[in-house]
Amino acid sequence: MRYFIFLLSIVIGFSGINCTPKNNHTNSPILVDVANFEKHLQELLITADSGAVIELPEGQFDITRSLSLDGIEGITIKGQGKDKTVLSFKNQIQGAEGLLIKANHVTLEGFSIEDSKGDGLKLLDSRGVVLRDLNITWTNGADSTNGGYGIYPVACQKVLIEHCEASYASDAGIYVGQSTDVVIRDNLAHHNVAGIEIENSRNVDCYNNLAENNTGGILIFNLPDLPQAFGYNVRVHENTCRNNNFENFSPRGGMVNTLPPGAGMLVVAHKDLEIFDNKISGHKTLGLGIISYLFTRRPFDVKNGFEPFYYNVNVHDNVFERPDDIADQTTEFGQMISALFGGQPQDILIDGIFHPDTNTGQPVCFQNNGEDLRFNNLNAAQAEGVQGMLETMDQNLAAFECSLPGLTVEAL
Amino acid sequence: MIDGFRYTFFGMLALLIGCSGGTSVQMDEDSPPFEQLSKYQFFTGDPKNLIPNDGVLPYELITPLFSDYAEKARFVWMPTGSQASIADIDESFEFPIGSVLIKNFYYFNDARTPEKGKQLIETRLLVNRKTGWDALTYVWDDQQADAYLEIAGEVRKINWIDHRGEPKNTTFVIPNKNQCKGCHEYKKQLQPIGPKVRHLNKIYIYQDGPMNQLEKWQQQGYLEPLDNEVAELPNVAPWNDRKALLRDRALAYLEINCGICHGEYGPANISGLFLTTLTKDSNHMGVCKSPVSAGSGSGGRKYDIVPGNPDASILIYRMESLNPGEMMPELGRTMIHEEGVGLIREWIASMEGDCPESL
Repeated sequence: MRYFIFLLSIVIGFSGINCTPKNNHTNSPILVDVANFEKHLQELLITADSGAVIELPEGQFDITRSLSLDGIEGITIKGQGKDKTVLSFKNQIQGAEGLLIKANHVTLEGFSIEDSKGDGLKLLDSRGVVLRDLNITWTNGADSTNGGYGIYPVACQKVLIEHCEASYASDAGIYVGQSTDVVIRDNLAHHNVAGIEIENSRNVDCYNNLAENNTGGILIFNLPDLPQAFGYNVRVHENTCRNNNFENFSPRGGMVNTLPPGAGMLVVAHKDLEIFDNKISGHKTLGLGIISYLFTRRPFDVKNGFEPFYYNVNVHDNVFERPDDIADQTTEFGQMISALFGGQPQDILIDGIFHPDTNTGQPVCFQNNGEDLRFNNLNAAQAEGVQGMLETMDQNLAAFECSLPGLTVEAL
Repeated sequence: MIDGFRYTFFGMLALLIGCSGGTSVQMDEDSPPFEQLSKYQFFTGDPKNLIPNDGVLPYELITPLFSDYAEKARFVWMPTGSQASIADIDESFEFPIGSVLIKNFYYFNDARTPEKGKQLIETRLLVNRKTGWDALTYVWDDQQADAYLEIAGEVRKINWIDHRGEPKNTTFVIPNKNQCKGCHEYKKQLQPIGPKVRHLNKIYIYQDGPMNQLEKWQQQGYLEPLDNEVAELPNVAPWNDRKALLRDRALAYLEINCGICHGEYGPANISGLFLTTLTKDSNHMGVCKSPVSAGSGSGGRKYDIVPGNPDASILIYRMESLNPGEMMPELGRTMIHEEGVGLIREWIASMEGDCPESL
């Protein structure tokens, strides 16, 4: 009998090896079994042929462990629409994310991920990613124990995120980190700490998104000590950032915890960045802040080309509308702004800490962003604390009225 | 008559395709995996006794990974006449095609008296195929008669009495195939973790007496002859040996528990936190390093390691967390390793220096 099984397994083995790869385009979808949903889906994510289409039926499905796809190329996971197919991780006992993808040429569309214990959807080191019509959320509302990121591609290439929704993430709803060639468009991010965050990423086109009721709308950061040491060539345009005055419910410690409620856009240590044609309205603390990493007073190493400064930041043709409100008092950053400006909302703030090498060019240019802007340059390089900045800061916007060539992003 | 014919027929066929049957290890890396662990014949007699067959060599790591207090019995097997080589003294051995690493997870019913028996949970195989390493998990049946291939993983409730006589229980999570790679990923390939010079360079008590494992592997023909005496080769500190230096013990513990992902070539290198015995830079080791994407895993703390202050260090927070979204390691642990956390606490408490105030 032993030989029989042995032989049988060899026969099965050969048939498996000899079978020609299936044509990606004629693959009929494999429908995940409703009765055995979690196990069947995870098995498919391990055994599917390259190019397979895995279809999720309509319904709400309880998932107890992280789901993962690793290494199989060309997989599509397709639900019946983000309002119809819901993967609920409320009873999750294991795994640091809801769905983890490490695979090239992957398409995810038409489903929701709710209440994952860690990040909602994480994509690591994947090339050729399409995310469409997804909703990542936490159903208990704002809570510091919610997962950090909703949609979280990191160290990925060729990423398209469109028509997705992300809410109640305790860090960022849509977070693109250390990635290259990325398009983020037509998405909705609301009630997150950060709506959309672009970090250490290159060739990014972020447009026509709506970020509202987050703590901060859109963040564009370069942070130190990361394998992709810095990002550049990022365009942020035609987005609407409005009323991002939501409480900062992130856990203490992370960068985003310093974000004051009422922040439209925040730029940290970025270069080659163009911010244009956006509408930034209703923020009680500041519309747009641009600071160097030095301003955070966090330690860092300068290596692999990371620079703590911003330069070549081109801000033009945006519309700013500040509300009649009082700036945030709940965060250190908010308190600082309140102390500096008597609690009045500001439109544009820069820290005035510039690259010592003037060959890097203009730190920042502002052009055609409307009249009557409340602009402040803190000139913090020469200042000691809030008292110091009260003496050094100025409102000389004219000093930065200049133009820079527009950037081109050919991401996909 | 019919049965006799069938046995003869299939027996001959088996001979024709080069399988002699018999009692030796049955491993053909070109074939799909057996459904039953016993078919490989890694063990002789009753499989649950884990008595190694010819050519199946037991080994231990100086400092092992914590897996919810599970005991582990590790073995290596290689095809006859083949041996591993060392391309880089700091990296895992280069194994010949067809090699198998066998790791059995079990609990003693009563850790104070092992004679009271044990519960085998799972046996993991790493098979070195021509296409690369393959991870296979076999889950033991309730009768402990055999273990069966399981790719999607499983959850088991386990009860046992620990070495202090305390009743313990855990929800042991058997990983799915993708999760195996979650830990065993190095330079984007699935790789063994343990078989490195610095983790194996110790005495093991074999059936025929004690011997240094690296010497035994050479004697067995499983490792290319080494130019150096084992005493000249590196070894990590045993994490629980108080005679060793505190820093060495802590780094050995962090390396095996964290450094596979949190290494320069591991999947958590995106964090910039490298917890290995080879890490030179204190910022990359976490000292005064701000978290990047820890989310709630920061526990409201600002730096991975704050010298002298374990309670302000994110590292400790995540080792003491049982929340799947915050805890570290992400996989393979549902309990707190109190002794391990104790060691890292002691090490951080002993460090001198300060981290700056920041926003």
